[in-house]
Amino acid sequence: MIDFLEAAIRIATPLVFAALGGILSERAGVFAVGLEGMMLTGAFAAVIGTWLTGFSAVGIIFAMAGGGLLATVVAIVTVRHRADNMVTGLTSNILALGLTTYLMRILSGSGRPLAIHLDPIGAWPVPVLSKIPVLGPIAFNQPPLTYLAVIGCAVLSVFLFRSQWGLKLCATGENPEAVFAAGADPLNIRMTAVIGCGAIAGIAGAVLSLQQVGTFTDGMTGGRGYLALASLIVGRWNPWGAALACLGFGAAEALELRLQSLGVPLSSYVMQMAPYLIALAVLAGLGRSSRLPAAIGKPL
Amino acid sequence: MNKPANTGAVQLSRLPFTFARDHVIWRIGFALAMSLLSAAILILLSGKNPLEAFWAMLAGAFGSPHQIGVALNRTSPYLFAGAGLALCFRAGVINMGSDGQIAMGGVGACAAVLFWPGEAGLLASIAALLAAAICGGLWAGVATAIHLGRRVHEVLATLLLNFVALLLVQLLLSGALGQPGAGFLQSPLMPRGVWLPRVPQFDFHIGVLIAAGLAAIISFVLWRTPLGFAIRVAGKSRRAAAYAGLSAPGITWRVMLISGAMAGLGGGTEILGLHHRLIEGFSSGFGFKAVTVALLGALEPAVTIPGALFVGFLEAGAQAMQRQIGVPSSLVTVIEAITMLFILAATVRRT
Amino acid sequence: MAALLEMRGMVKTYGSLRANDGVDLDVFAGEIVGLLGENGSGKSTLMKLLFGMTEPDAGGIVFKGRELSGHRPREAMAAGIVMIHQHFMLVEAMTVLENIMLGWEEAGKLLRRGTIADRIREASERLGLDLDPDVRVADLPLGRRQRIEILKAVLRDADLLILDEPTSNLAPSEINELLNILRRLRSEGKGIVFITHKMPEVIEVCDRVVVLRAGKVAGKAGIAGADKASLAAMMVGRDVTAPLSVEPKAAGAVRLDIRALKAQDLGPLDLRLRGGEILGIAGVDGNGQLELAETLAGLRPVESGAITLDGAEITHATAARRTEAGLAYMPADRSTTALVKSMTIAENLMLRDSHRQPFSKGGLLDREATRKEARSLMERFDIRAPSEQTLAGSLSGGNQQKIVIARELARQPAVLVAHQPTWGLDPGATRFVLERMIALRDAGSAVIYISSELEEVLAVGDRIAVLAGGRIAGLVSRAEVDMTRIGLWMSERAA
Repeated sequence: MIDFLEAAIRIATPLVFAALGGILSERAGVFAVGLEGMMLTGAFAAVIGTWLTGFSAVGIIFAMAGGGLLATVVAIVTVRHRADNMVTGLTSNILALGLTTYLMRILSGSGRPLAIHLDPIGAWPVPVLSKIPVLGPIAFNQPPLTYLAVIGCAVLSVFLFRSQWGLKLCATGENPEAVFAAGADPLNIRMTAVIGCGAIAGIAGAVLSLQQVGTFTDGMTGGRGYLALASLIVGRWNPWGAALACLGFGAAEALELRLQSLGVPLSSYVMQMAPYLIALAVLAGLGRSSRLPAAIGKPL
Repeated sequence: MNKPANTGAVQLSRLPFTFARDHVIWRIGFALAMSLLSAAILILLSGKNPLEAFWAMLAGAFGSPHQIGVALNRTSPYLFAGAGLALCFRAGVINMGSDGQIAMGGVGACAAVLFWPGEAGLLASIAALLAAAICGGLWAGVATAIHLGRRVHEVLATLLLNFVALLLVQLLLSGALGQPGAGFLQSPLMPRGVWLPRVPQFDFHIGVLIAAGLAAIISFVLWRTPLGFAIRVAGKSRRAAAYAGLSAPGITWRVMLISGAMAGLGGGTEILGLHHRLIEGFSSGFGFKAVTVALLGALEPAVTIPGALFVGFLEAGAQAMQRQIGVPSSLVTVIEAITMLFILAATVRRT
Repeated sequence: MAALLEMRGMVKTYGSLRANDGVDLDVFAGEIVGLLGENGSGKSTLMKLLFGMTEPDAGGIVFKGRELSGHRPREAMAAGIVMIHQHFMLVEAMTVLENIMLGWEEAGKLLRRGTIADRIREASERLGLDLDPDVRVADLPLGRRQRIEILKAVLRDADLLILDEPTSNLAPSEINELLNILRRLRSEGKGIVFITHKMPEVIEVCDRVVVLRAGKVAGKAGIAGADKASLAAMMVGRDVTAPLSVEPKAAGAVRLDIRALKAQDLGPLDLRLRGGEILGIAGVDGNGQLELAETLAGLRPVESGAITLDGAEITHATAARRTEAGLAYMPADRSTTALVKSMTIAENLMLRDSHRQPFSKGGLLDREATRKEARSLMERFDIRAPSEQTLAGSLSGGNQQKIVIARELARQPAVLVAHQPTWGLDPGATRFVLERMIALRDAGSAVIYISSELEEVLAVGDRIAVLAGGRIAGLVSRAEVDMTRIGLWMSERAA
């Protein structure tokens, strides 16, 4: 049971970061289809940063910069040049895939991917609390970025719903004209929100590459960005709601791993399909009831 | 300004898709030039000479009839799917599921051949192509049903189904359609009788020719029929389409089924003409290239022909470049993505 | 006492058009100045200059004794000038409180919700605005939304409030409340500019009136000496009261029969139209006009009741079927519903009939016949454009509306539903539209003419109905019109 919950949390952690970033972007009125690419760039940059300097903290900063950089491209094309959000986001995902694959190969100088093996960031047990039975190992014996995900939810909630910046950001996704009339620049707000989304999604990539795997492999995000996108819709663009939805996906995947290890005679392909089918089913179940920010996807 | 009644009957969660048409050739040309420049910088980063690399690329693409044939074979699936997508985008429906639809087309063609009761000949080929179109269309139909029935954004529905389709191919190849003991996930080799004919000397299969013919037909439908008119109106304003008595769901269904069938045919011809068997992941990344082709063709089905040729020759050339100079072939993906971003920035608008 | 605002000799030209040609405007603290003028008289240009949205060619602005030049809207706002637009700059999904805090420094970087909510309650009480800070804007009627804008201005210590056509969306009772609020603001020492073309309100609330015509000040008057007719004459410079010659026609057989029609936010309502009559439907915007028009056109589902057109039931028919049955429809939203601006005139003329002769033949579009038909319609309906291949969006509003009229009327419809057909048109084009409606009536069709411009409805309607809260509040023939009763009907359950 503890193993199962731990696995669910482990799988959910990168999704949570990506979803948090996505909330920032979508609340400001830009569909966050580019999460996948921002995560991938983050995962790549994190590994490179850590490899170059030896500090995973630097890797995480690299990850934020990498995700932010890709997001800047998306922001320029989609916000400033008013291109379609969806197609642009998708293109940026492909760009990230191509570019990280390419760079891994030219950095090695041999045409083969650069071989980097890092020790995954270990758990930081919280003194005393981690000794509590059941709850302790689950909640208080996690790697640092997992704690950061929880803190991130709290910070983003306060930011969105309790601060002037958040108010402006949400208003930009609803009615940019009102924001303009209130003396702020909705264009800048959207640009900043998308770039912020990239930085946070970059951390999601770092979780994957630094905390869980210890290296970068081509296309290692494998569709997680799209699952994060589904989670934030299911979570109604609310940080805690999205985190809960991510945990749901995490639990589903953990269950799948469980069944596999128990030798349940279910094709592994069917099990791998599960998260996508669940995502579709949940979105379809939500159907008409989910209300998008009013001005999402509409150019300024 | 007080516009009366601007909140119309049909609550629209999204707006249609338009394309800036002034100086469109210059815009696309500029985009291509910028992406080649970016490519040159990336080649420099890898310590190679960009001019040398580009030369190798050109030679690889056009160097011999055989090379041209290779490039045309690459072009084929992109043109099938891209021409269908151009129609879809015209209607303001963003189908991002070509990957999955192409894969399902491959499944259809493969299954039809494997289970074909009669002689493996022309008839079997045609049946396989039909099956490919139907399977591609059906897969697009699933996405459409989810989109229209449950109001899930079509991009999400089609994208998520791509992952499902790719896994479904693997599932089928590990079972009913697979070649036992192959070590790879692949189907048995198809009998020669169903292979698509090849054009002599250049040695490309006729898929690209069928695709070009269909692209021309789609273009005709778009400009010369009431359905095409309806698609163009729906793409410009959903409200106006409803007012004109055109059914938006009806149009969405049609363009999705057509583009799904086209993508399916792309997959089917790829199987019947090139691989002669269904292989795991044979279509991965094709969907994105189809989008590139549709946008390169300025959403004009007939103009996707040069767009697809460009992408096909670019890739054939890039592969040769990789072999000769040693620049990683993922550079092509980068070039395509950068081209797309420039095109997007320069031309595509939501109104 | 020095004026709060002095604008001297403002000049602004756009190409050959002198939008403002030496306009002076003074506003003192504690007074309400009416700014009158027709569309295109230069009112909005003057306000743009004041807000720094555009640079004047000549002239100077002094506000609170300080020169304002080369400024931007933000600086104008910071100086204490607030404009309340016709359509409100509010976020509907947010509460009153959140809308007021949006972009307001005093709300704090970390929002002080409690403090601000208290200030809202206090000011709302003092000015009689009746606003609850925790209600979502989407749940408020338009009149209340306007008060949020006023409250915003007051809380931000604005000295000069500019209200652009503030009464156009309000019911009579709401208008009275608004005028009372303005009087309270005046007594608190605010300067107010009230932009409108409605005379009664001007006379009721303004201290002075400035009338603009063709970019110049056509007249100024203290309200004591002004009356409606003289103001109107100043505004238009000609006699506007010349009525359209609409002799009621002897009505024919019933062409449209609406029984107990119910749809979302509409009805139940009954209406019966005979051939050769125009039914004018008046009412404050947002009281079911759009719902009625679109339900009749087949763009919204009918919940219950029946619609019969020339004896054939069309209650649940599709829009296309209704068009075939003889129903024509001119939507209020010209730019994205009635027309596709990025398509040609010819394509817009075939919008609703593309699969029929002469536009199609044998399942294919017939380009040659389409071109010919388009050219003939352009001539018949006086659509002025270089060619039938010209994009609809490049034409003036009047010519755009002529395309719609040509398309809908060329079919010789049994019934026409026209919703705000003169919106945004200049007087000449308005006249053209009204004359076509009457001609259609005279040819034996039935016309439903829906408009929030009461005067227009009275001018063309053979019978006048008032829509309030989605129902018919009252129905009279033109001979029996009594303005007080119409006013009462309009304020019934008004949104």
